[in-house]
Amino acid sequence: MKGSKKVKVWFPYAISMLYAILFIYAATSKLWDFQQFKIQLGQSPVLTAYAAWIAWLVPITEYALAFLLLMDSTRYRAHYATLGLMAMFTTYILLVLNFSAYVPCSCGGVLEDLGWTEHIIFNLFFIGLSIMAILQSAPNKTLKATLL
Amino acid sequence: MIFNHVLIKLLGTIVPSVGLVVILFLFSEDQLHRNNAFTRRYPPHPIIKQYDLDIGYNSYYIAGFDNDLLYLGNSTAPWHLLQINVKNRDTLHIELKPSDTELKYRSLSVSILPPYFFIMDGTVPFILRGKLGDWKAKTWIEAGAYFNAAIPIDSNALYVRTTSSMTKKYALGILRQAKKMTLELDTTLLETQIDGRFDVDGVMLTDLPSGRLAYVYYYRNEFMAMDPVFGNAKRYRTIDTIKVAQIQLTAPDRHGNIQMAKPPLLVNKTASIHHGMVLIQSDRLGKNESRHMLDQASIIDVYNVVKGTYEFSFYLYHVKKKRVREFAIQGNFLIALVDDHVSIYRTQTPHFPQNIENNGTQYTTGP
Repeated sequence: MKGSKKVKVWFPYAISMLYAILFIYAATSKLWDFQQFKIQLGQSPVLTAYAAWIAWLVPITEYALAFLLLMDSTRYRAHYATLGLMAMFTTYILLVLNFSAYVPCSCGGVLEDLGWTEHIIFNLFFIGLSIMAILQSAPNKTLKATLL
Repeated sequence: MIFNHVLIKLLGTIVPSVGLVVILFLFSEDQLHRNNAFTRRYPPHPIIKQYDLDIGYNSYYIAGFDNDLLYLGNSTAPWHLLQINVKNRDTLHIELKPSDTELKYRSLSVSILPPYFFIMDGTVPFILRGKLGDWKAKTWIEAGAYFNAAIPIDSNALYVRTTSSMTKKYALGILRQAKKMTLELDTTLLETQIDGRFDVDGVMLTDLPSGRLAYVYYYRNEFMAMDPVFGNAKRYRTIDTIKVAQIQLTAPDRHGNIQMAKPPLLVNKTASIHHGMVLIQSDRLGKNESRHMLDQASIIDVYNVVKGTYEFSFYLYHVKKKRVREFAIQGNFLIALVDDHVSIYRTQTPHFPQNIENNGTQYTTGP
């Protein structure tokens, strides 16, 4: 029991660290070439009409979540928010892939070099991590017994 | 039970997130289709540059055309005219002579409408008229009506903009000199949004073969086209979205002068008309356009006034990093004034109507 208690603490923490790094990196590279990012979003057939404010909203949300994930008191809820954000990103990718002939990526940094399949796998992997982190930190034992 | 609780929370996170993006997507689609607005269409090569000609000064403006001859007036040397043959690049400097050497003037502008040229000063006011080739300007209308812009539409009439004495606002009119001078004003054409002077400011255009008149507002996404005596006036929206002029005016000072309180939002910078096509220069970017493009070129949007449609857009490139000041189409040429140069382009089918005269010769040989 002692070991599993340790896992329960460090696992969500490690995942939150990983996410924080990912978000800070992605948000910074977006803001680094903000003009380009905005144009890419505007050219995306999915969100054209809202490109201007989404361009701001995305990196700000990423920074905020990175911060909340690093705080002990907010980590659990931040994991839910992270899961929601990743679900949105993945939905966006799927919509772009299926409803547009022209496919721009505005993920920021090296993430733009990922192929679409890799990108979806990447996202699903992180979504999986989020879910595990949430389950790990869920405050009850029956659940752990059921799943792990 | 608690397991279910967490599962519900997970689903409760994922489903609304997915749903939100899908809803945004559906709305975005809807908006784009309703407001095809901000998406410009750039067909390949609607115009092809022929050459740039150094004309030495940046104070030239387009005074008019006589077939292949382009006439440029000069705002700092008002009695000087530069004639350029756009086909063979021959230039000729012309000096205009007033028959009345005692003439007092404030701001002269020259306009060419074969077989005449007109020299106008709407602030004095007077209009001189003379024959092309003779270049002697005789007093034609004197102490008639004040105006702040005028373009000749035939040998005896001008399309003018002036302040209506009735409404104290700008109005469009026709100034005619037959046996006596008459001025017909239509105060309903220019629609006031703010003060009826600043906000209705714009470019007057005449489409010579058809006699059609047009007016393109500077500060709103609108222009009009009408028949010569203001019959059949039609209003058109440009692809821009600024419906109401975004300008701020100061309160009148002690002399009653009103100024712009801050730089206005210029929707339509300048315009031109040719065979029912209205061409409007706009520095406003469509949603998918790069800001950097404006460092290299000006955007021209083309509208068809007969069909009432937006047709396409094209770039007029800067010369030595200077932007286009004014442009016009004559025959199969597009002429643009850029700094101290004139750029000559050839218009291409099917984007522009081609002159029959040139169809047999130039068009088949090509540039």
